[in-house]
Amino acid sequence: MPFFTEVSVDQILFALLNGTIYGLLLFMVSAGLTLIFGMMGVLNFAHASFYMLGAYFAYTLEPLTGFWMAIILAPILVAGIGILVERFILRHVHEHGHAHELLVTFGLAVVIAEIIKMVYGKFAVDYRVPVELNFAAFSLSGIDYPFYRLLMGGIAIVMFVAIYALLTKTRVGIVVRSAIYRPQMVEALGHNVPVVFMGVFGIGAALAGLAGAVAGAFYTTNPNMALELGVMVFVVVVVGGLGSMGGAMAASLLIGITNSLAVGSDFRIADLMAFVGMGGWADDIGGLLTMRMSSLAATLPFFIMLLVLVLRPSGLMGEKE
Amino acid sequence: MKFAPLFLLISVAVLIVLPWLVSGSMLNAAVQMLIAALFAMAFGLLCGQAGMLSFGHAAYFGIGAFAAVHAMNAFGGEGLLPTPLLPLVGGATGLVGGLLAGYFSTKRTGVYFAMITLALAELLHALAPHLKTVFGGEAGISSFRMPAWGIGFGGLNDVYFLTLVWTLVCIGLLYLFSKTPLGRLALGLRENAHRLRFLGYNTNALGTLIFAVSAMFAGVAGALQSINIEAANYVVLESHISTAVVLNSYIGGVRVFLGPAIGGAVMTFFGHVTSDLTRVWLLYQGIIFVLVMMFLPRGLMGELVERARNPSAEGVAQTLGTLLMRLASLAIAAFGAVFTIEFLQRLLSPEYRADITEGNWPDITLFSYDWAPLSIAPWAIGLGLFGLGIALATLINRRVAARKEAQA
Amino acid sequence: MALVLGAATAAQAEPLKLALVETLSGPQASTGLLYRDAVKYQIGKINEAGGFGGAPIELLEYDNQGGPVGAADRVRAAISDGADVILQGSSSAVAGQVTEDVRKHNLRNPGDEVLYINLGSEAMELTGAKCHYYHFRTSPNAAIRVNTLLDGMSEAGVLGDKVYAMNQNYSWGIDVQDNTAAAADRLGFEMVEKTLHDVNKIQDFSPYVQRVQAAGADTVITGNWSNDLLLLMKAAGSAGLDVRFGTAFLDQPGNIGNAGAVAEGHFLSASFNPEVNPEKTDAFMEDYKSVTGHYPSYVEPTAVFGMMLLQGALKQVEPTEDGLNASDLAAALENASVETPMGTLSMRGADHQAILPMIVQEVSRNAKHKSDGTEFGFVPVKVISAADAEQPVQDSCQMKRPG
Repeated sequence: MPFFTEVSVDQILFALLNGTIYGLLLFMVSAGLTLIFGMMGVLNFAHASFYMLGAYFAYTLEPLTGFWMAIILAPILVAGIGILVERFILRHVHEHGHAHELLVTFGLAVVIAEIIKMVYGKFAVDYRVPVELNFAAFSLSGIDYPFYRLLMGGIAIVMFVAIYALLTKTRVGIVVRSAIYRPQMVEALGHNVPVVFMGVFGIGAALAGLAGAVAGAFYTTNPNMALELGVMVFVVVVVGGLGSMGGAMAASLLIGITNSLAVGSDFRIADLMAFVGMGGWADDIGGLLTMRMSSLAATLPFFIMLLVLVLRPSGLMGEKE
Repeated sequence: MKFAPLFLLISVAVLIVLPWLVSGSMLNAAVQMLIAALFAMAFGLLCGQAGMLSFGHAAYFGIGAFAAVHAMNAFGGEGLLPTPLLPLVGGATGLVGGLLAGYFSTKRTGVYFAMITLALAELLHALAPHLKTVFGGEAGISSFRMPAWGIGFGGLNDVYFLTLVWTLVCIGLLYLFSKTPLGRLALGLRENAHRLRFLGYNTNALGTLIFAVSAMFAGVAGALQSINIEAANYVVLESHISTAVVLNSYIGGVRVFLGPAIGGAVMTFFGHVTSDLTRVWLLYQGIIFVLVMMFLPRGLMGELVERARNPSAEGVAQTLGTLLMRLASLAIAAFGAVFTIEFLQRLLSPEYRADITEGNWPDITLFSYDWAPLSIAPWAIGLGLFGLGIALATLINRRVAARKEAQA
Repeated sequence: MALVLGAATAAQAEPLKLALVETLSGPQASTGLLYRDAVKYQIGKINEAGGFGGAPIELLEYDNQGGPVGAADRVRAAISDGADVILQGSSSAVAGQVTEDVRKHNLRNPGDEVLYINLGSEAMELTGAKCHYYHFRTSPNAAIRVNTLLDGMSEAGVLGDKVYAMNQNYSWGIDVQDNTAAAADRLGFEMVEKTLHDVNKIQDFSPYVQRVQAAGADTVITGNWSNDLLLLMKAAGSAGLDVRFGTAFLDQPGNIGNAGAVAEGHFLSASFNPEVNPEKTDAFMEDYKSVTGHYPSYVEPTAVFGMMLLQGALKQVEPTEDGLNASDLAAALENASVETPMGTLSMRGADHQAILPMIVQEVSRNAKHKSDGTEFGFVPVKVISAADAEQPVQDSCQMKRPG
């Protein structure tokens, strides 16, 4: 009973490559969220909206400044918005508890989506990969691998290394990390903790904005981008461990690769039961048991999330609660 | 607070005679408001009283809805489950679902609890399209309300009274529940679960039971909706239904018993009225969420109760005066904001952009007047009124603060 | 004297109210608003020609907030506001709910029926298991789309031998898949594989592209819309995959703009193309633009033609003192037919499915009308007449007729 359709080394390689790049995209978007949660305990519903804003800003700037400047400026603009949000909106709600923070960011996500629809229209906009970057990097058994995808993966890896270095090796990073555990002490030592929080929020938003600016050209840039990616980002952050950068990377790759492999698989639970001779019975029951893995690919992340939450809630690499 | 029972009695009386007071489409909205209120009350039990923020309550609402639809088709309104008793099925399945889900969810607390509930609901939502016999595919499962107990249940009035009776009974039961030992322990879970454990209580079991009761009433609400629209569709399992009930409850105020119900009713009414008036009603809804969370953190009912409990030393007349002036300034600001937003929406719309020719920007009609977008008039009115309202509100706040300081 | 009195009574009868119950806000609003433009346009034309019973027709608009639950609520509101006809088209899920609500209302209120005119929801069951006397579909359905697409592509010699069916996992996608499979023997191709994927959840289609490549397909037939179509095509394009796409919704605004050159050479089967019958079509396009501000595209022409059919049927109906008698209108609609710029559009009485011409078209640089401000547009490859496009009545439709 074949688990995969015509398995070949090339295809598995391709699946792994695809999954890795998709996972790196997820990492780019969730890095900011896990940073913000780790630092401030705020689960920011509007994070995917920052992703969307990054894409739209880059789309607007590109005809004026060219592609490369656009993807540098767009995250800066999004960071600015993030800082404004933290200073004028979130700061009022910190004292009322996490639920209020969450709900404010949810309201914000709705407001951002509606404003984007008002200004840019309800259909997708044509923000495309620039012609000079639109070529194939290499070819594997007849399928081209676009260079831009590798570029996206590269940017994600650079992002990871940069944040990791920033947090562990620099003074700023040490201050930020201490501010999670002992904000009063850090304040007593003379650091301006509210400014630190503002900066962290801004950087988190900038990361999401960069992800949007880069990925929006390759995928589509439309007003529902935030909704499409929103829940997946939460899954990554939870599975990886709230606040852990390494965990976010591991979880993103896990989800990306399992998704890629699952789509290529026609495996069904009934096939597994055939091993113990209950295949016919499972076929009769139907329903969940006869669904193909390829159709279920989008539900896998939630299974993983549930498993992690019940068995090891602090996530793959988070700290124990 | 002494007036509370009187208010309640008047409200119930108004609700009973509502069909003769309002139009058909308003009555329709009233049914939706009741269902939203009951769903929010069920959520409020879990979140407000037991302090467990659930992000996947749509799952139990949906389970109840589908159970009721299948029961409607199976029993045809007779036998064991005549139409008026159908919500019992919703409650029963919600209870079972809640026990199962609650057992897993309550193993963790805080954010992790919320994430588990989210994951469970999203999992159910992702699986539903594939389980076509249960969830019916994207057209859902459809059924037919059958007459029972001599009532036709064909028209809106019958549906309204059925919904009203069930909602009032369930809210009453929730109130009584809050007075039982288990209901009291829920408060304990919220305040100090650690201490409860030390006192010997099994907090996991407690949490599971409360989760199950909350899910039961959510299931009743789902069943009522199925009876109302004679169908159930898996879109009811979407995450925005879960977030909507959280928002409604917090806007009403989760710490006050009836807060969630008021929040659910008000926001449903708001959506009903504005969605037909303006294209950007979701924007207004989002703005209201943000503003209420920022400035009325206890929710509408919560702030009301708080003011009633701690009246300022100023006396009723002055308090009322301040309140009226605040409302007036906010109304001015709101009008200015709405004007600007509506004007911008029309200015940026694709129809208008197609009308623009070289240097000629046609007038935009708003509130029956024509405004030229390039002139200062509409901007002055919109932004000006908004600024004026905010300035007045700030002034009033400063005056009140100064008075308080003078007295202190 | 009698004529004057008669005219006076007719003029004082209840004006005809049409209710548009559509998705006008939220994530899926883009399509709903197009239906609104098309309906308003044609109602304007009907009123210019005198309206109904001497009075202008009123359009009531209801926002179903994107889902069947909101739609059920709004249908009830519309009926209680006096609507005689419900119009809708953008979503098959909503259509499923509306048609059931209308059917149940009519069952409970004999003599006070309302009509449901489905301007664009193409799931088969609406004229199949869910068909009923007061529902009319004026747009194509899955069988018509797929079979005309395959016929056109086959005649143009671009279908190839190996076809891959890639669809969304819900009734519409399954309908497309089933119809593709059923046509395999007739047209002499092999359906090498079929895949059903989650609707609007997938960002990364490269694993699916890999499957297409592994199956060695020449053509991919897909009913995907919105992101699912765009991302699939872009993924295929960037993988350098040499397949031709046959689609149902490639002309959705934003698709060509976003896909650019990737879309070139792919096919579409739709009920409108601006280059067919240019004398009539150009006049229609310019008039539409002068009223709404943009050229008609995607669902708009089909919706306008559907409203033209309604207009023709209304001319056959005498208003009564209570306004419109829905059963009279239904009887008139059953046999209605109208000349559109594309050809003859008529209604089939057996299942209330419209019979209309379809145009198989290709994305090309040589198009006279460009899409989304790009250099590409749709060029007609084959015009399939209404009679040739017609597909058989489904066995599952057991329509109960009044009287």
